[in-house]
Order: sequence, then C-alpha cells, then structure tokens
Amino acid sequence: MKKLSVSLLAMTVASSAYAADMGAVDEPIKLAINEWTGQHVTTHVAGEMLKAAGYNVEYVTAGMMNQFQALADGDIDATLEIWSSNVSDEYAKKVDEGTVVEIGDLGLDAKEGLAYPAHVAELCPGLPAWEALKDCAQVFATAETLPGGRLVDYPADWGTPGADRMTGLELPFKAVPAGSEGALIAELRASTERKSPLLITFWQPHWAMSAYDVQFVELPAGEEACFNDPAWGPNPNAVNDCDFSPSRIFKAGWSGMADKWPAAYEILTNYQLAVEDQQPMMGAIDVDGGQVEEVVATWMAENEGKWRPVVDAATQ
Amino acid sequence: MTAATDFPSTKATHLTAGAKAALITVFVGALCLAFEGSAPWLVKWPAAWELPATEWVGTFLDWFLNSIKPAMRLFSDLMTYPMDAANYVLGNTPWPILIGLVTALGWYLGGLPMAALGFIGLSFVLASGYWAESMNTLALVAVSVPVALIVGGAIGILANEVPRVKSLVQAVLDVMQTVPTFAYLTPLLLLFGFGPVVGLIASAIYAAPPMARNVMLGLERVESDIKEAAIMSGGTRFQQLFQVEIPAAATQIMVGVNQCLMAALSMVIIAAVIGGFNDIGWEVLLTMRKAQFGEAMMAGLVIVVFAVVIDRMSGTLATERKRYDPRVVWAVLGITALFTAVVWSGLPDPSEITLLNPVAGAMDSGLTAFTQANGPWLDALKNNSMFYVLLPLRIGLDQAVLPFTWGFQWTPGMSYGLFAAGIAITALMAWRGHLTGGLVVLILIGMLETGIANLPWPFVLIGAAALGWVAGGWRLAALSVGLLCTILFSGLWERALLSLYLSGAAVFSCAVAGGLIGLASAVWAPVWKVVRPICDMLQTIPLFVFLIPVLMVFQIGEFSAFLAICAYAIVPMIRYTRHGLVNTPDEMMEAAISSGATEWQIMRDVRAPYAAPTILLGLNQTILYAFAMLVIAALIGTTGLGQSIYLALGQADVGLGISAGAAMAILALIADRMVQGFAEERRKALGL
Repeated sequence: MKKLSVSLLAMTVASSAYAADMGAVDEPIKLAINEWTGQHVTTHVAGEMLKAAGYNVEYVTAGMMNQFQALADGDIDATLEIWSSNVSDEYAKKVDEGTVVEIGDLGLDAKEGLAYPAHVAELCPGLPAWEALKDCAQVFATAETLPGGRLVDYPADWGTPGADRMTGLELPFKAVPAGSEGALIAELRASTERKSPLLITFWQPHWAMSAYDVQFVELPAGEEACFNDPAWGPNPNAVNDCDFSPSRIFKAGWSGMADKWPAAYEILTNYQLAVEDQQPMMGAIDVDGGQVEEVVATWMAENEGKWRPVVDAATQ
Repeated sequence: MTAATDFPSTKATHLTAGAKAALITVFVGALCLAFEGSAPWLVKWPAAWELPATEWVGTFLDWFLNSIKPAMRLFSDLMTYPMDAANYVLGNTPWPILIGLVTALGWYLGGLPMAALGFIGLSFVLASGYWAESMNTLALVAVSVPVALIVGGAIGILANEVPRVKSLVQAVLDVMQTVPTFAYLTPLLLLFGFGPVVGLIASAIYAAPPMARNVMLGLERVESDIKEAAIMSGGTRFQQLFQVEIPAAATQIMVGVNQCLMAALSMVIIAAVIGGFNDIGWEVLLTMRKAQFGEAMMAGLVIVVFAVVIDRMSGTLATERKRYDPRVVWAVLGITALFTAVVWSGLPDPSEITLLNPVAGAMDSGLTAFTQANGPWLDALKNNSMFYVLLPLRIGLDQAVLPFTWGFQWTPGMSYGLFAAGIAITALMAWRGHLTGGLVVLILIGMLETGIANLPWPFVLIGAAALGWVAGGWRLAALSVGLLCTILFSGLWERALLSLYLSGAAVFSCAVAGGLIGLASAVWAPVWKVVRPICDMLQTIPLFVFLIPVLMVFQIGEFSAFLAICAYAIVPMIRYTRHGLVNTPDEMMEAAISSGATEWQIMRDVRAPYAAPTILLGLNQTILYAFAMLVIAALIGTTGLGQSIYLALGQADVGLGISAGAAMAILALIADRMVQGFAEERRKALGL
C-alpha cells in the first residue's frame, strides 16, 4: 500500500493548483456509511462540503469489509475513513486491478494500543508502565487462560496485534480474539460496571475512550526497527517488543471519480479532519444522543474556516 | 462424535450390529492410544498431507463466478426495478394508511383478534421510531419472497414431474439450508454487485427450500382418484397439474408460503451485514456494535412483531376457509382514509417518534444492575462449567486437570486408572447382557480422557463409519467417511473438531434440558403457556440481540458462545418433545387406561416410545440449529469454523469461505442423516 500512497500524493499536489471542472453535477455522489459513528461524522462532514460546492450527495450504508467491490463497480463513489490496521485484503486487490484509488490521508491521528479502564490501575499497581503487567497477570486470569492473564484482542479478521505484543514482550498473557467490535465494547462496559480487571486491545479516536475512561498502557515506542530487528527493544530475542505501529487513516474512491466529478474528487482528496474535531462530535452523538446530521451541521456552521478553503480551492 | 454422545442408549438396547460397530471403534481407539506417542500423525493430520483445497476452490470459483457474472449483473439490474418500486410505495405510504390496511386485512382473515394483532403490532413499530427502516425491510421481504416462492415452487414441481431428479433435489435443498449464509455472501457480492439485491438473493436462497419441500409433499399427497379423474377428462399434463393437482394441494402449499415468509424475515438481519440498505437489520448491527442492549432489543422486537403478524395472518390464510364481513374492511379503510386526510399535515414524521426510548433505556440499565448485583455467583457458575465440563470435553481430562483448576495435576497413572475402571464397567455390563452399552461407555470415557479437539482422526473416521453403518447401512457409512475425508484433506480438520466440540456440547445440553422442559410442558399445561411465547421469541428475534447480555455477564469466550447456541437450539427440542408426547393416538391411550396403567406408566410405556420418532426429529432440528448458530456465535469469539467464515468474509477470500461453509454443512448433514436413520428405525419398530 505504501507504493500507492506515494504516487497518489503526487497526483494530489498536481491537481490542487487550479479550479477544477464540476463534472456531472446532476448525478448524486454516493458516499459509504460504515458501521461506526466516527466514520458517520467524517462522511457527513465531507458530504456537506460537497453539497456546499453544489453537488448532490447520497449516503449509502455499506459494510466496512464488503464495500470495496461496490467501490470498484462505481456503486459507491468514495469511502472516507479506512484504517490501515484492519483494511481487508480485497482493498489491495482492487487497487492492483486499478478499479479503486486511494485519495490521500484523512489526517486523523489514530492511536492503537493495549488499554484498560481507569479503575484497573488500582487492581494492578504500577500501570500504565507495561512492566507492571509481568507481575499482575494473575489478576487478569480467567477460566480459559489460566495460568496466564487474559488479553481481549481484536476480532480475528482485524489481525492479532495484541497477541504479537504478548509474544514480543514475553508477557504471561493469552490473547482471546473478541469476534466483533460489539464484543469489545461489551467487555469494556461490563468491566467498568463491575469494577473487574480487563486488558484489551483498543484504539482512538473512539467514543468509548471517554465513556469508559480508557487508558493506554505505556509501551516502548513503536519504531520501524522494532518490527524487523529482534535485538531492538527490551526483549533481545523477539520483534514486536514495543508499541503498535502508528496506523494510517485514509480515503479511497472509485477510479472513475476523477473524470466524472473532477472538483468533488479534489475536495475529497484534500479533505482533512482532526481528532480534536471528530471526537467531540462522536461524543455528542453516542453519549448525548444527538442526530449525526444536526451535530455535523452545528460543527459546520461554527468551523467554516476549517473546511470552506478546501471547497473554494476546488471550485473557484 | 456428537451423535455418539447423544445415543448411547438407542444403540445399546438392541442390535448385535451395534455391538460389532462399537467393538471396532473401541479397537481402533485403543490402537490410536497405544501408538499416540510413537506416531504423532495419528492425532494431528500432518500439514504436508493437506491439499491446498481452499485455494483450488477459490481459483475455480473465481473463474466460474467471473464467467457467469454478466448474466447475473443483468438479473441484478432487473431486480432493482421491483425493489425500488416496493421501496417507493412502502416508503411513501402515510403510516396511518398502512396501519389501517393491515388492520382491515387482519379483520378479513381472522376477525377481531387478528385485527387487534395487526393494529397493536404496527403501532409498536411506529412507537419504536424505526418506521422508515422497517419499511425498507418490508420492501426487501416483499420482493425476495415472490422470488423464493417462484424458485421453490418450480423446484418442487420439477421434482414431482421428473422423479429421477428427486434425490438430487433433496440434496440441493439440504445444502441450501445448511451452508451458512455468511459463507456465500462474498461470492454473491461478486456476482450481483453491491446493494440490497445481494440481501434479496441471500434471503431467497434461504427461503426457497421450505416452499419446495411443501410443494413436493403437497403434490405427492394428492389422492390418486383425483389424479385419475383429471386424466380421464382428457386434460394435458399441464392442465392436470395446474388445474387439478396444485389446487388440490393448496393447503400444504400455503404452509410452504408461510414457512417461506418466516425464513425470509429471519434472513434480513444477515443481509444487513453487507449494507447498501438502511433497514432494520442495519439498525440492530449499529446498536449491537455499541453494546446498547435496550436499543438493540427494541430494533430486534420490531422484527419479531413483523414475524408474528405475518406468521399468524399467513397461517390463517393457509388453514382457515372462513372469511369475515368485508363491510367492516371498507369501514376501517374509510376511517383510515378520512383520518389521514384530516390530520396528515399535522402528523409527526415517524422517525421522530421516540415513545419507547425510555423503555430501551430502562432495559439497558436493568442489565447493568443485574450484572453488578450478580457478578460473583455468575462468575463462579462460568468458572465451574468451564473447569469441570467444557474444558475436559475440549482438551481432555489429561490436559484440563491442573492445580489451577481442579486443585491437582493429572498423571498418566490416573489415565490408566480411568481406563481400568471403564473396562471394568464394560465387563460388568457385558455380563449383564448389555455389551453394546458397555462398549459405548468405554468409548465415552476414552473421549473424555482425550478431549474432542484432540481425538485421533482414524478414530473419528472409524467411529463415524460405525455409527453410520448402524444408523443407515453401508451407504451412510461410506458417505460419512467420504465427506469427513474432504474436511481432513482441506486442512480444516482442527477447526472442524472445535466446532464439533462446541456444537456437540450445546446439542447434548439442549437435548437434556429441552427434553425435560418439553416433558414438563406436556404434562402440565400452565408451563407450556409460559414456555410457548418464549420459544416464539427465541426463534424470530435476531440472534445478535442476545449476544450483548450474554457477553456482559459472561465475557468473551466459549461459555458465552455455548449459552448463545443453546438459547437458539433448545427451541425445537422443547417443541417436538411436547408435540410428540401430547399427540398420542386416542385408541392407544384408551387401551392403556382400560388396562389400569397409572399416569406415570402411561408416560413411560405408551407415550414416550410412541413419541420417540418425533423427539428424534426435534433432536435433528436442534443439531441443524446449533450449527446455524455457530456462525453467529463466532461474533463472541470462538475459534472453530465460524471464525474462518468471518475471516473469509473480511478478506473476501471466496475459497476459504466456501470451504469452511461446506465443512460446516458436511458436519450438519452427517449428523442429520444419522439421526434420521435412527428415527426411521424407531418408526419401523413402531409400525408407523
């Protein structure tokens, strides 16, 4: 995927100098709505920007893992929040085919890591330092993992980053794959409500970070060398003895989009959204029960300076 | 094998064939145990012997799918027209009109109770705030059901007209119902493109078999004198079929329509995983992702309401000939139209109605309070079940008994002691004339010592063959071994054993618990009054909804998955057990009563033996349900074939998805055939 991003970056830079052609304004641009709130916010902000530029926008619900076939066929025109940490293999296939193109980073500064609800620090003194986990494994032990502790890892289809850390750092934990995001949240919720111990692989931005006061374990910095060179890091015999490699969040579009709606393509390519903007909107929806359309409309009205220039650059 | 754990007694009571089969199995098991140390390939199928079958399947399917893709895309484009039309009509009909229509239809079919059911049901949907999403769901069902009816009907007629293809058709229908839908979602996406059409096709595939089966059954049962009359009056075959036989089979065919509707509705949630359509299933998925139990339950109940309304109305259509006064229908419709015309502009948008939000909130906080208050004993329940039941079943006593779990370490000496005790029991039972039973006990002890996940593959193959031979002769034995070998060679064996262990444990528990509940419901009517609505709900509510509370209470892991499977698979066991016990023919009952038997004697000696085939059919359904639920339980985090299917779905790996789905269907099919074999034998023994 890295080779792609370089070539696409070049395209982005080249296209942003002049006002682009609007293209087929009468036909709606279809944006994918995936399963999580952050993505809804991201997509609705982008959709409003396209509307402000004079386009029709249609939101189409699409499973995150299954949307790439639709993107390749042009049934969906763009999807705006893809996490490099759990993008399906199909994406790479479609990009190789040339039917799907990446359209730049979203600018969301994501973090993944080993995490725990705040009350767990009392059960395992020494957190957030990772060394503390060596001695408290017993606290996290359950029937399935005895005598080791239990780490709730990502669903199997997202990869096994948590298990890799346990091996790399030689921590006495057994990673249990969660099966689904709902299962991860249910674990967090149950742990917070029952004040029971929990070590979990988690990420931000996510609404549950603030709702359940989730903290990250401090691990050695995730440098490139850590993943290739066993000698690097606290364990001289293994790779992965460090934090997660920073995951990239990016956007992708149907390959025919640049020709059909040049200006929209440019807007979506240059579109950026920061964690500081996205996370409060997620909170307003998931914690305070707001409607995504209203929350986004409020944000758009209050932060015109953050998005208007991108629209203007493409249309004027 | 699952089935082995389920029927020691059936096998034990008669048949020297059973004893022979058990002896062979014991012999192979003993050999495997003896050479376990020197030949590790006996336990673990070596990776070098695996064929890259999943890749072959993937390559072949890619080629095949791409070659028929244009035709399928054309079909997909055609289907969007009725789909859009249904969506437009349902989406733009004012909600008072739709409620009025359903109420009027309810009156026409079933009088006041049915009208009330329709009215209250749809009012609940309106109050839940999911009106728009529900209409999308209904549009999907409204298009997929006719497709399923046409396809199913055509298959049924074909099987009736060309008897040679009948057994092939049966096998195809079995495959359509047992391969988990998740397994073929990826190929469907590739074929039909993204969007609601894929959901439509998926639910039509799942909903067509009940229609086909009922059409076949209905046409078979048409009285021969009716057929002869049609022939004598000189009609062509076409005229005979459509003007005489199909009308004569109408009642049975209507049962098929009813089953088809229910199946399509239960599929809606799974189709939502793909997306493309803002329907009620998508809502359930969203709330499930946030672990909001109350909201997920509300969205789930909307589907239950539709299922109940559609089931009762189409059920009445199938069975009752009586129709109610049409004047009331016109009156209801008139009032509705008037109401809509007068107040329409002042009515709120249905998606802004949030009357039931407090209820959802209350359910959610109720769950929180429950987990907080009952944490310790629920944990203890979970740990004890894991330590003393599930773990030994999976990895065997030799690995599950540890100082952390049982308080001591298992030693080889203990294994010898256990086997010696097993042999002693067998000898004792053989001496008392129960050789087969004794051997089965020995086999079970051996399985418990080794653990299902660690069973040597020759033992499983021979055991399945022996069981197949006893249940259905050489053909079934050969079929079982052949199919199991495909799993072995494809490299999915370990995962298949894990799935087998989990569903086996669940089926066994369901058989015991469900049997007892069914018995209680049969003997004591008030129990059935409570149990029946619970059964209805468990069968129609999207199963995802139950995953949240189970997870909150018992966390991610096998125990939660086990409970979720049980919750779904226990229903047929209860229903069939009760049904079998209640429906003893009157003359048998009278004979028993007049010979002075007590209530208990009647139950044991008359009702239970008579009900045995029905109960076995219930067990058969329980097995199929348990396998179906295995895929959904993978969302909790299990490690068997279900997980592979999700992995495949995520990675768009057509080969792995179809292979894992096929492996699951194979396990279900073998179990199904064996149980049917035993049921057939019982039926013959009873002279039915």
